[in-house]
Amino acid sequence: MINGLSLGSVYALMAVGYSLVYSIMNFSNFAHGGVIMVGAYIGYFAMTAANLPFWLAFVLCGVGAGLLAVLLELLVYTPLRNRNAPFLYYIISAMGASIFLENFVIATIGPTYRTYPQVFSTEPFRLGALSLSRIDLMIIAVAAVGLVALVIIIDKTKIGLGIRASSFSIKASQLMGVNVNVTIFIVFLLGGILAGFAGMLFGMKYTVYPTIGAITTKSFVAAVFGGLGSLPGAIIGSVLLGVIEVLVSGYLSSNFRDLIAFVILIGILIVKPTGLMGKTSEDKA
Amino acid sequence: MGEALLRTDKLSVSFGGIHALRETNIEINPGEIVAIIGSNGAGKSSMMNAISGVVKYSGEIEFKGRPLPKQAHRIVSAGISHVPEGRLIFANLTTMENLRMGAYLRNDARAVAKTLERVLDMFPRLKERENQIAGTLSGGEQQMLAMGRGLMSDPELLLLDEPSLGLAPILVDTIFDIIKEIKQMGKTILLVEQNAYKALSVADRAYVLTQGRITLEGPACDVMTNPVVVEAYLGKKRNRLIQDTAE
Repeated sequence: MINGLSLGSVYALMAVGYSLVYSIMNFSNFAHGGVIMVGAYIGYFAMTAANLPFWLAFVLCGVGAGLLAVLLELLVYTPLRNRNAPFLYYIISAMGASIFLENFVIATIGPTYRTYPQVFSTEPFRLGALSLSRIDLMIIAVAAVGLVALVIIIDKTKIGLGIRASSFSIKASQLMGVNVNVTIFIVFLLGGILAGFAGMLFGMKYTVYPTIGAITTKSFVAAVFGGLGSLPGAIIGSVLLGVIEVLVSGYLSSNFRDLIAFVILIGILIVKPTGLMGKTSEDKA
Repeated sequence: MGEALLRTDKLSVSFGGIHALRETNIEINPGEIVAIIGSNGAGKSSMMNAISGVVKYSGEIEFKGRPLPKQAHRIVSAGISHVPEGRLIFANLTTMENLRMGAYLRNDARAVAKTLERVLDMFPRLKERENQIAGTLSGGEQQMLAMGRGLMSDPELLLLDEPSLGLAPILVDTIFDIIKEIKQMGKTILLVEQNAYKALSVADRAYVLTQGRITLEGPACDVMTNPVVVEAYLGKKRNRLIQDTAE
């Protein structure tokens, strides 16, 4: 169960990035996996090559991944936006960027799996009869803090108001004086920072490798599951998916894990095509 | 000639080779209501969108004697607010959040609170609906919200694009009363309307747009009695409507 919550938390940190970008720009940013992977490597090298303490490496990886996400937006999506490109082009460019990042890392750093130095003792944390893994607790704590901070930014600040307004109508928010380019940068920055954290935590729990970004397929599923464009939806969808996966692996067989996850996704989409908490389609018109 | 608040020089807008607006020159003086009338597709909204920076244009726009910035957010801070056609309120936000969006660029909380008070005085209905999600407001309330939101930036020039579109006749009267009230607050208004009669009755001056060109301009009362205008936009309108529905 805790294992499921921790997996779900990692998915949630990634899924909100998909959801934020989708809510404003109406496309799924498949380059997000690349950002997560680079985040995991930044954390890894900060701790091994540069021998930095965990917390510093952690901050560095958030900052690095956030900047990478903004850089992608600047180099890849801004030119498309300036030309009013159709949304299909964004998705194709996103996939291209993702393939580029993966192969760039394979070519420069190499395809081998790398293990983070041990930060948390593998000795489980005992709470009464429960024994909890320390890394799982850490993941859940980071995700909770990160996601709560994100929700506060979106719900309570002026920037957040601008983001929510832009997600409804870019034109109308421009007429209110919102600088849409800046708003989009901020969205990529926020999504990128959380993606970096997710990548590092995932790398610490398992290992780091160039195609680690592929796990974002799962977080994307979770975002769709909860309703693309809805932050609470992405979070709830992720946690549910994580718990379901672990329960299925535990009680049935891990071979059924993805099968059942996707069957549930398809089931939900048949019943409610916009996901659990998605916007209704007329909202987005 | 007095100092115009806004002046366009050969303002043109085109979309992929189709000229929506061809070399139009208009002038808006401080404190007046200027109406732009014309049929569907005459270029009225294109003119507004060019001024507020959401479409690209050629030609010059001068505001308060200086070239108008080109980016939408800088135009808002220069003192122009655009209430778009179809209202474009943020249906996912509450009434109050919509109004706060209108003051997005203002940082002086006290001044914003004052403007908010004035807007809520002007539109008491919005106060009642403060925490309601704007998408659930009625059409008339949404129009009021769009206008209130437009006033929240405390603009000098307010662009109103089809404020009466799709509203019941009694609400149309209310909206036009409010337009007069906004003028009394000292705001300058550029008004685009298909309801030519209503628009001309509140306006000081008017321009008639036909296929992207200005074909007539002058004091509103002169425009209203101009035989061509009467023929095209006022007198025969009812006959034509009957014809349209008959076809």
